[in-house]
Amino acid sequence: MTIAPGDARSVPAQRSKRYTVDDAIAAQEFFHARGWTDGLPVVPPTPGAVQACLDWVLMPAGQLVGIEPVRQRAITAEKLAVNAVMAGCLPMHFPVVVAAFTAMLREPFLLHGATASTGGCAVLIVVNGPVRNELGMSGTFNALASSDRASSVIGRAIRLILCNLLDARPGEVDRSTLGHPGKFSYCVAEDEEHTAWLPLAGERGVPPLASAVTVMAAGAPRQFMNEWTAQPEQILDTAVAEIKANMRNYSIWPGNYAIVLPPQLRAHFEATGWSKADVRRYIFENARVHRRDWAECGKGSVVGERGDREYAAFETAEDVLVVAAGGPAGGFGAVIPPWYGNKSRAVTLAIGACVDCNV
Amino acid sequence: MSLEILDPTHEFDARAFLPAKRLASLEGATVAIVSNGKKGTQPFFAAFEHELAARYGVARVVRLTKSNYSAPVEAELLNDAERWHALVAGVGD
Repeated sequence: MTIAPGDARSVPAQRSKRYTVDDAIAAQEFFHARGWTDGLPVVPPTPGAVQACLDWVLMPAGQLVGIEPVRQRAITAEKLAVNAVMAGCLPMHFPVVVAAFTAMLREPFLLHGATASTGGCAVLIVVNGPVRNELGMSGTFNALASSDRASSVIGRAIRLILCNLLDARPGEVDRSTLGHPGKFSYCVAEDEEHTAWLPLAGERGVPPLASAVTVMAAGAPRQFMNEWTAQPEQILDTAVAEIKANMRNYSIWPGNYAIVLPPQLRAHFEATGWSKADVRRYIFENARVHRRDWAECGKGSVVGERGDREYAAFETAEDVLVVAAGGPAGGFGAVIPPWYGNKSRAVTLAIGACVDCNV
Repeated sequence: MSLEILDPTHEFDARAFLPAKRLASLEGATVAIVSNGKKGTQPFFAAFEHELAARYGVARVVRLTKSNYSAPVEAELLNDAERWHALVAGVGD
């Protein structure tokens, strides 16, 4: 008898508890009843489907991906794969899930705080490199929400992993007051094909042609619009105004902000020779508010004696994450604010990087 | 036809949580309080400290505050832990 990869009989290393249900419909109710879903239907994680994911990344089921630092929970490849299958991932999507969660386990991301906080952020995943095309990811129309299958299921997998492996369910470890829709899935592929700009991962040190993810503890996108100018400074002034509004109304502390720029606006930057570094520098220099500004939005009671103190949105220009994405028409852009200043920092990680390979 | 499915939750290294040994009395004890650093903890722990001394005879209360309320307590804050009889970790908002 030949046992193919992905066949349940070939997977003695899997250790997850097994249940038997009547069919896929029964599996839905089984999972929903236990609080193991995000409220949407899930793909039943059969041993064979889970093994297919593990085979794709050449990871044994028990491979330790990392340890969540606060609760000391060991995160294994098998458990990531179970949740990825549930989210709708195909095996080919799984390397991105593994890379994203590995990045989230890095200390600067502050995983526990970011996923437990009342602040209610979601994990934004920006995907760069050839893997985008291999997976059919689209960074164009509707780039920030259900633009394509891979983006949807990869982002959803991260949420299910948080719920099921770290108990980050609403009212349990997840103490979000409001949360935002990005908690279902918050994954975007950068539109590298329609820009001469350096990809985000390239700006953050990943070599050209390598695929990578950048994860960020992020608030909901704040959309802006300015199609009445071709001047880069004026376009960015609109983005800066949105950042300042976030600083006044939400959190004044500096951190990573993602700036999403679609083609119609990017055309003005590229026509005038502005690079991403120029964009970052302009935003860094101008996104600043004074403490006294709080008085204009109902927070006068906390201005105190330091009204003239200036607060910058960024500690360095490198903290600005510029992402080329969005549909071809429309003078829109988006500012994606950090969860809570610099408590959590964006982390970029190459996908499937092999430290021993000679390529 | 039935379907076999896998448990998606954490199950492999769950360690039993063991509560710290109870003190027979707080009389004369040194008790540390670790605050998460949020403003709301200040009046609460001030009142708690008062109660510990007035009602239970605690000799000394050590007040500690994490620098980042979303991160674990810094190891150096616990350097003197061997001198404490009890430690209370509290959060506030």
